[in-house]
Amino acid sequence: MTPPRKVMVIPCSGIGKSFGTVSRVAAYQVVEEDRPGQTQLVPLALLVTGDEESRRLVAENPAVAIDGCKLACASKMITQSGGQVAREFAVLDVFRRYREFKPEGIAELNAGGEQLAAALAREMDAVVDELTGEEGGSHA
Amino acid sequence: MTAFLELTLDKFIFRVDPACAYTPQGIWVKEAGPVNRLGLSDFLQQRSGDVAFAEVKPAGSILAAGAAFASIETIKVDVDLLLPAAARVVRVNPALGTAPEVINQDPYGDGWLCEVEWQEKPQLLAAAAYFEQMEKEAREEHP
Repeated sequence: MTPPRKVMVIPCSGIGKSFGTVSRVAAYQVVEEDRPGQTQLVPLALLVTGDEESRRLVAENPAVAIDGCKLACASKMITQSGGQVAREFAVLDVFRRYREFKPEGIAELNAGGEQLAAALAREMDAVVDELTGEEGGSHA
Repeated sequence: MTAFLELTLDKFIFRVDPACAYTPQGIWVKEAGPVNRLGLSDFLQQRSGDVAFAEVKPAGSILAAGAAFASIETIKVDVDLLLPAAARVVRVNPALGTAPEVINQDPYGDGWLCEVEWQEKPQLLAAAAYFEQMEKEAREEHP
């Protein structure tokens, strides 16, 4: 029996930027807490360095990019790795929808940043459900 | 096609439109018939970062010299944009409400902020003088 496909989550690797940190906090929330059975995190750095296993995972599974800025490195690396971007999230666009959650801080986000990451994670959860054909509520 | 004055520093290229005059803050001013169009210089928009929100005083507002005619909220900073002279806001760029990123994408074109009528003559820098000031600031920030 073929195992169900997982959704690959590729967050921004921007170090020293609040929006990059938001992308990674949201990614961990989805992959480790909200949808651990349906998702897998692929570090952007492994795609950049051409890691074969990471490239294969991205090429063979739906891939969700979380871009921290307009350079859109996560989206670009998915494509360059032979994959297709199933859905792209830009943290700036999410912030535009949740203006009250202004992120600050780098190693540690402020409360606004944590709330923005949580909001982004909720939006990603819905996309993961859509891509895997699952409905909300069936996730342990 | 505009031949910009350009400064290249490291990975950055900062452009100055020679057809505009500038405030020391980095607001460009371009005559457009009876009104003057205002926007952010390329240097100011790059230094400020990706714009999340842009708010401009509504048409009809009469503002004093030094007053904020607009503000931008970016991924890095909140910036009040100041008038160099008393003016009346005539028109606001309608694109800013739905696509404020146009300020970053096309600062001297579609990313304009508003049009004003001066109530007094502003003191502005010519493009070459602004370029010189910008270069000094940019080299301090990117040594």
